[in-house]
Amino acid sequence: MDLATLVLILLALILLAVAIRRGDGSHTRAIRQGWVTLRRTLPLLIVAFIIVGYVNALEPQALVRSWLGPGTGLTGLLVGTAAGMLLPGGPYVVFPLIATIYQSGAGLGPTLAMITSWSTLALLSVSFELPFLGWRFSALRLSLGLPIPLLVGLVAHLLHAS
Amino acid sequence: MQKRKIDWTIVFLSAIVLILAFIAWRRGGVALALTGLKLGGEILLNVTPLLLAAFLIAGLAQVLVSRQMVEQWLGSSSGWRGILLACLAGALIPGGPYVYYPIAGSLLGSGAGVGVLVAFVTAKNLWSITRLPYEFALLGSYLTLLRFGLTLVVPPLLGFAAEALFGRTIGRIREMAPWT
Repeated sequence: MDLATLVLILLALILLAVAIRRGDGSHTRAIRQGWVTLRRTLPLLIVAFIIVGYVNALEPQALVRSWLGPGTGLTGLLVGTAAGMLLPGGPYVVFPLIATIYQSGAGLGPTLAMITSWSTLALLSVSFELPFLGWRFSALRLSLGLPIPLLVGLVAHLLHAS
Repeated sequence: MQKRKIDWTIVFLSAIVLILAFIAWRRGGVALALTGLKLGGEILLNVTPLLLAAFLIAGLAQVLVSRQMVEQWLGSSSGWRGILLACLAGALIPGGPYVYYPIAGSLLGSGAGVGVLVAFVTAKNLWSITRLPYEFALLGSYLTLLRFGLTLVVPPLLGFAAEALFGRTIGRIREMAPWT
């Protein structure tokens, strides 16, 4: 069993114990809530993994390496950041896609730039931000956040190279 | 009559599937087109146990951390203490953008400052305890730990920077918030 599985199962058990100790049926509500989310996102998950399957089958290694490979420097970081902003959907859609791109030969720097950019700058979630906080706030937050994926990618690239 | 909202994400992703299937068919016939489907199914089956744990954690966090808790916590907080609290609240609050942006909107309405709002949204994006399980499950522990470690200081840092640079524009931001 790998670290990810171990950490997740441990965390789930700890939270489950906390919920049970509340003694107010929190744990059954939580399980139901998780199930509802899973059912709602299942179609998306299946479609996302079909994309992952095709990307693997089509062997895009050459394409990925030329745009996002370890040797692409600043271009790779910029492409990674832009791709992260455009990736649609929640974590269960985006993370498998990024994993596939990484396994197809993307460099560590561009990959981390993409993860960070999707996390903080995803345009799809900005469309939720605008109606609640207004464009002035979005513009301020995005302009402060824009350098972050590039910096994270750069540091990762340097760490990896050294 | 209930109007069904079209989920554009799935429409978009399905279109990509069709394009990729077409490319595969052109390149390797029906065999390659089926290989894509088969590989996708295999990878999905591989991560299923992890995904189940991740969904369970998300459900538990949703029940254990309520919206009222966060709003009470951050009501009209500002200053460096408010920014740190906002980071913590952002890390703990479960749910997607359709959940945390309405909360941020109500925080703005109840008097939270620019730094607090930026810290809250950024911590949700980078520290989220409900997003991290998916990241672990789907990207693996190496990429996840590296990403988390490298962005650990970002939420408070961005909050402080926003407060220092744009703290005084909060009035105008509140004025123009579409719901006021």
